[in-house]
Amino acid sequence: MAQAVVNGLLIGGVYALVSIGVTLIFGVVKIVNFAQGEFVMIGMYISFFLFTQFGMDPVVSLLVSMPVLFVIGVLVQHFLIRRVLGLNDLPQIFLTFALSLLILNLALMLFTANYRTVHTSYSDEVLHLGGLIVPVAKLIAFVVAMLLSGGLWVFLHTTDLGKAMRAASQNRDVAQLMGINPNRVFAVALGIALALAGAAGSLLMPFYPAYPLVGQVFVLMAFVAVVLGTLGNVIGALIASLLMGIAESLGIQFIGADSGLIVVFLLLLTTLAVRPSGLAGGRRR
Amino acid sequence: MGKRGTKGRRNFLLKTGGALTAAAFGPYPLRGFAADPVNIGALYPSTGSMAQIGQGCVAAAKLAVEMVNNAGGIKSLGGAKLNLIISDVQSDTTVTRTETDRLISGNKLSAIHGCFASALTLIASEVAERAKVPLITGSSSDQLNKGRSYTFTPFARASQFAKAQLQMSKLVGDKPKVAVIFENTAFGTSTSNGLKELAPGEGIEIVMFEPYSAGFTDASPLINKVKASGANALFSVSYLNDLILIVRAVKQAGLNVAINGGSGGFVIPDFYKNAGKLAEGLLGVAHWNHDISPEAQKVNAEYKKRTGEFLFEYAGGLVAQTFMLADALERAGSADPQKVRDALSSLDVSKGYAAMAPGGKVKFGPDGKNIHAHPVGVQWQHGDLASVFPKEDARAPLMKT
Repeated sequence: MAQAVVNGLLIGGVYALVSIGVTLIFGVVKIVNFAQGEFVMIGMYISFFLFTQFGMDPVVSLLVSMPVLFVIGVLVQHFLIRRVLGLNDLPQIFLTFALSLLILNLALMLFTANYRTVHTSYSDEVLHLGGLIVPVAKLIAFVVAMLLSGGLWVFLHTTDLGKAMRAASQNRDVAQLMGINPNRVFAVALGIALALAGAAGSLLMPFYPAYPLVGQVFVLMAFVAVVLGTLGNVIGALIASLLMGIAESLGIQFIGADSGLIVVFLLLLTTLAVRPSGLAGGRRR
Repeated sequence: MGKRGTKGRRNFLLKTGGALTAAAFGPYPLRGFAADPVNIGALYPSTGSMAQIGQGCVAAAKLAVEMVNNAGGIKSLGGAKLNLIISDVQSDTTVTRTETDRLISGNKLSAIHGCFASALTLIASEVAERAKVPLITGSSSDQLNKGRSYTFTPFARASQFAKAQLQMSKLVGDKPKVAVIFENTAFGTSTSNGLKELAPGEGIEIVMFEPYSAGFTDASPLINKVKASGANALFSVSYLNDLILIVRAVKQAGLNVAINGGSGGFVIPDFYKNAGKLAEGLLGVAHWNHDISPEAQKVNAEYKKRTGEFLFEYAGGLVAQTFMLADALERAGSADPQKVRDALSSLDVSKGYAAMAPGGKVKFGPDGKNIHAHPVGVQWQHGDLASVFPKEDARAPLMKT
């Protein structure tokens, strides 16, 4: 039981990085980024190639994947999303969905459908903590994920840009009247969200194989976490992701290995029935 | 951009389009000979999802034809050379049907081999059956032996794989307790049900029988469960990425179980590239392995020189198949597909390249099955696959893990 909770918590940390990105974009820019999983995939391939070409440790390659994805995020916002912001929801949905398909198929073409794994010195190492087994690679991923989430929270609450971002997410028009440049704020939000996806990819690389469709595996969980933790709420998404990781792990352990997701979706449905706007309620941060 | 630009572009399109059409217009002969060569069709998926294995097959098919031709070709036909006509079936069932049709109607073929994936081979064999062209294949589906008289299968059938896998679990102890985990779609359920049905007959206890959804994010909860079941052998009917996660989770949980990964994606070089050291000691089953005979080892060495990787089961099997075709052509003394088919049905070899099969004998029964066929149990040892089961086919001692 305790082992199942640990397993769930560790993988929940990775879900959190993906879902925080999605919820940040939704909270600030008010669009749903269906391509978030594909950016995780890009992060994985960046780390894979840095590892195979230069022997760079996947966790160190965060320092490359995050800035690269940040720049991609700014470019995506500037050249694509900005154009459809004034329109209704459909073009926005189609835009990110098309982006997802485009990246996915490009990756299939460039990298082929083969699986790629890296073997770091700690890939197979485990820590034994009072009878519990804690894989080192997953622990590193979890700790870094929590640090990044914490860093984001501090950024949103203490810096001017972070406050401007929250202001823009609360009311775009008023924020603009207060002298906030929404385009700049949106670009930074996209950049940060994608950088988090890239971080998730790099952190996954020591223990999960990369392949073009890998983003789809994680993005489904991320979307559930975003809804569960109240759309647009960063802390909500974080808590929801961890909860889902645990729920999935317990489901596999006690119900059946093909029903882990049943527990996750039960959790979602019950939450929505009791608190229709998610765990964090109506508040948005 | 004036008229000139448009014209340039049109020219460009005409040229590249023409080149592309020409390139796409396979099947194309690899070699032209002045004498009357014997045309052998080769249907493999060299693009699409199965491309990687398909390309290995094509490399092996070329190597095999070269070997036959360098040894003097078909002597009873005045030293006629084999001419390999390769066609890409693109990992797609519809394309397989049209490509097989086109290959047969566009060329005077004596025989065909292909297509690696059973789903594709079933279709190709149906088309070949109607056209009365013999097809020889390493695909393992038992369906291929039903109602066909032009299809020949020199290697073990799918139904034999499960039995071999169960028997192998006794390698680790007299009273194996087996946990079966399988992905919950057709591939996983049918294979695992086969294991479940045969287990009592083999005196093997299955202590856990658990479906899972392929493409999970984390294997450790599942392995946690295996640990709780007290199993000492684990059969995993899985796709490659899940299997890597499973193997890793077993190691991390400190679980001491003999893992049997089955066949297919588990016994190709790519598995070792991904799993690395974790693969060491893992067991599997194959219809062919490169250490079964001195001939096989020789072919393996040459293949390795060309591609850098060892000769995997399907590719190795099809080198043997090419020599079976050469043997049939030799005895038929004719390139006529009907005569080649008849010569194949009376094939009986126990030495040379044509007899490269576990057990070392090939003789087809009335259903096109090799009556001596059986799978070989293999183990990953130092980055290579070694045959370890059954005793008479073992070429290396079992490595203790």
